[in-house]
Amino acid sequence: METSLIATLGLLAFGVIGGVIFKFLQGKGRRVSSREIIDLGKLNAKNNELPITEYGKKATLVQFSTQYCGQCPGVKRTLSQLEYRLGGLRFAEVDITERLDVAAHFNISQTPTVFLLDEDGHLIYRMGGVPKMNQLMEELQKLGVK
Amino acid sequence: MTEVKRIDPRGPRFGAGITSALSLASFAMSLQFGFVAGHPLMVALFVLFAWSVLFPKTHPYQFIFQKLVRPRLQEPTELEDPRPPQFAQKVGFAFAILGTIGGLFLSILIPVAAAFIFIAAFLNAFFGFCLGCQMYLGLRRFGIIR
Repeated sequence: METSLIATLGLLAFGVIGGVIFKFLQGKGRRVSSREIIDLGKLNAKNNELPITEYGKKATLVQFSTQYCGQCPGVKRTLSQLEYRLGGLRFAEVDITERLDVAAHFNISQTPTVFLLDEDGHLIYRMGGVPKMNQLMEELQKLGVK
Repeated sequence: MTEVKRIDPRGPRFGAGITSALSLASFAMSLQFGFVAGHPLMVALFVLFAWSVLFPKTHPYQFIFQKLVRPRLQEPTELEDPRPPQFAQKVGFAFAILGTIGGLFLSILIPVAAAFIFIAAFLNAFFGFCLGCQMYLGLRRFGIIR
């Protein structure tokens, strides 16, 4: 009796702790040192369903989504609103549902994943999951987006 | 991308709540009383997942949510694409097959499958994370799903 009770409570605790950790790690960003240039045209990036090739004057946000991603539409809406509100920022979305080569190249294993590019299109920061907005705003301000 | 009818996101989360209770019960019962007690609950999960994958519109969770739960809730603030939760149901179904069929030959597979189903359903119901949808890309990239 005792062993199975302990195992069941353990599983429950594992779920709770897992959920808390997941929530904590979700959307946390990290700097990228490779400074790879992201070619929006090659990625077939879209803004409002239209192809986009130009970077923002100060920064560009690139969101990678899949059709199966439940949180992608909400993040897309939030980031599109940021683009509208802030000067010098552009937003682009890339659907990688059938493009595993792109996912493998950038080592993307969850969606949404959001890349922050500088004015010349260098990848400088990336966030896996729903981005933490205060962190993102801080990074945008460093690039002069206000 | 074709237009799909969007759904109330609380529907799948309500279903995940029931699934997490059933899977935790299957886990506890199989450990405590063995195959005879754990397997019927795993079969119930198998049937519910199969139903949800094959005929999602007539699923009992959906019926209970629409008739009894949703009328007591406020209008949803946003609707979501039904494909991510449907994909998650397929992941759950795969584990239920493992527990139901595999459990016939190796009874330890019942609590193992129940534990995986519980964690995924619990995270979805109580933390709003759709594990399967979020890891969709990772699973495909590593060849676990096609």
